[in-house]
Amino acid sequence: MSAVHNGVMDVLTNFVLPNDLHVHWSLMIVLYPYITGIIAGAFIVSSLYHVFKIESLKPVSRYSLIFALAFLACATWPLLNHLGHPERALNMMLTPSPSSAMAGFGYIYSAYAILLIFEILLIYRPVMVALKARSTGLLHIIYGILTFGSDNVSSQSLKLDHKIIGFLAGLGIPMACVLHGYVGFIFGGIKANPTWSTPLMPVIFLLSASVSGISGVIFTYVTIQKFRKKPVDAECVRTLTKFLWGVFILCFTFEMLEIFTHSYLKTHHWEMIHGLLWGPLYKTFWVSQVGIFSLIPMLLLAWMCLFRVGNATLVFWSTIASGMLLVQVLLMRWNVVIGGQLMSKSGRGFTTFHPQFLEKEGILPAIIIMVAPLVILYLLEKIFPMWMDDERLTALDT
Amino acid sequence: MQSDYNTHIKRIVLLLVVAAVLGFLAKKFATPTSFGKYGHYRADAIQDEVDRPLRHMTNESCLSCHPFEWELHEQGRHKTISCEFCHGTYADHVQDGKFAGRLPVKKGEEIKTLCLRCHNKAIKARPKDVIKTVEMPRHLEDQHVQVTHICNQCHHVHAPLIYINHAQKVLGIEEANNGKQ
Repeated sequence: MSAVHNGVMDVLTNFVLPNDLHVHWSLMIVLYPYITGIIAGAFIVSSLYHVFKIESLKPVSRYSLIFALAFLACATWPLLNHLGHPERALNMMLTPSPSSAMAGFGYIYSAYAILLIFEILLIYRPVMVALKARSTGLLHIIYGILTFGSDNVSSQSLKLDHKIIGFLAGLGIPMACVLHGYVGFIFGGIKANPTWSTPLMPVIFLLSASVSGISGVIFTYVTIQKFRKKPVDAECVRTLTKFLWGVFILCFTFEMLEIFTHSYLKTHHWEMIHGLLWGPLYKTFWVSQVGIFSLIPMLLLAWMCLFRVGNATLVFWSTIASGMLLVQVLLMRWNVVIGGQLMSKSGRGFTTFHPQFLEKEGILPAIIIMVAPLVILYLLEKIFPMWMDDERLTALDT
Repeated sequence: MQSDYNTHIKRIVLLLVVAAVLGFLAKKFATPTSFGKYGHYRADAIQDEVDRPLRHMTNESCLSCHPFEWELHEQGRHKTISCEFCHGTYADHVQDGKFAGRLPVKKGEEIKTLCLRCHNKAIKARPKDVIKTVEMPRHLEDQHVQVTHICNQCHHVHAPLIYINHAQKVLGIEEANNGKQ
C-alpha cells in the first residue's frame, strides 16, 4: 500500500516539464535589472540635489551622475552576452516594433542615455572650459569636443545652462522611473509565471532600484574617499542614510506585502509559490534576502536615523548597511529571476540551478560585467573631476 | 574670439538634429528591402531558411546502406528513435550521396552515458509507460549483474529487449513485453 502511495505521490509531485528543466534566464538576466536599478537610483540621488535642492548632498551630486553613467555604459552588456549576436543589437532600432515590450528597452535606454550625457556635459561645462585651458594634447582635444567648442562661461551663459540642467534633471526623474519601472514591467508582464505576474512588480523593482542606487553611492563614496585618504562628508552620508532608510522601508514592505497577499488570499498558485519559497529558495530568500540582508540593515538604519549617532560611527555603519543592501537587492533579483524559473509550468515540480564559473553566462562573466562599470568610473574620473573637495574642482568652481 | 553665450546649446541642438537625420537615413537605407512584406520581419528570411543545406535526414535515408540495422531497429522498442539521435548528423557522414566521414562509434562508458540521456530516473519528465527509466547502479544490482556492466551487454541498442525476450523464451519465463523487442 505504501509503495502504491509513494508511486502516486511521485507522479503528483516533482513533475517537471522537459522545457522547464533548465533555467534559461540565468545570471545575466539577474544582472540586467540590478545594473539598471543602480543607474536609476544613483540618478535620483543627484536629482535630490539638482532638482530638490537638498544642499547636504552636494558632495555626491556630481559623483552620483558619473556613477550612473559608468553603470549605464554597461547596462546592455548582460543582454548582449545572453542573446548573442551583438552585431544585430541595433536592428531593433532600425525596425521598431511598437507591440514588443522587450524592444521598448532600446528607446527608453537610448533616450535616458542621451539625457544623462547632456546633463553631465552641461553641469561640467564651466569646469571643462577651465580644464581645457590648462590641458594639452589629447585631453585638450577631448575637452574641446565635450564643451562643444564654446568657452563662454559668462553669467548669462551659465544661467542658461542652469535652466536647462534643472529641466533635464527634472525630466530625468520620471525617465529614471520609466527605465526601471519598465524593467519591472518586463517581468510583471509575463502572465505565465505566477511569481512575476503581479502589478506590484514594477513598483517593487523601482523601490529596490532606489535602494541599490543610494546604497551604491554611499558605499562607493565612502570607500573611494577612504582610499583617497580624503575626509568623508558626514552630513552628506547622514542625509543619504535617511533617504535610504525611507526608501528601504517602502521597498521591504512591498516585498513582504506581495508574499503576504498571495498567502492570505491563497491565490491560484499559492501552493506552488509556498513550495518554492520554503523549498529551493529557502536559503536565498528567507535566510539571506529577508533574514540577514534586510533585517540587519533595517535595524542599523533605524538606529542611525532615530538616535544621535556620532559622525565616524554613522559613516562606518552606514557603509556596512549599504554594502548589505547592495547584496539584498542582488539577492532580490536572483530570487525573482532565477526563483521564478525554478517552478515548472506543470505546477507540480521544481528544478534546480547552479551557475558554472566559466560558462558563457557563468560567474566569471558576471564578475567581469560588474567590475567593468568601476573601471569605466575610474577612466571617467580622468575627464570629469567628480569630487567637490578635489583641488582641481574647488579651484575652478570659485 | 569668445563664443556667444548660447553657442554650445545651438551646437547641441544641431548635433541632435544631425543624429536624428542620420538615424532616419540609417533606417531608410539599412532596413532590408523585404522587411514588412508579410509582417514585422524580413520576408527574405523565409527563403534563406529554405536555402540552407539539409543537415538531417530520416531513418529511411540510412536504410539504403544499412539494411540489417534498419530491420532490427524497426522491430524493436526504439523504432521511433531517429538514427541520428545516437549516431550523429547525416551530413557529417554522407554528402551528395557519397561517403564524407565516419560517425563516431560509442563504446564502453560512452554507451551508458548515451542511454542515460533518456533512461535516467533523475529526469522527472518521463512517464513510466512511455520510457522506462532506471537508477544506476541500482538497476544492475536488481538484475543481479556486476555493477561494471555496460547497458549493451544485456540490451541490444537497436532492439533493447531482443536478447532478454530470447533468454526468457529459452528459460520458459513469461513476461508481458507485448511482443516488443
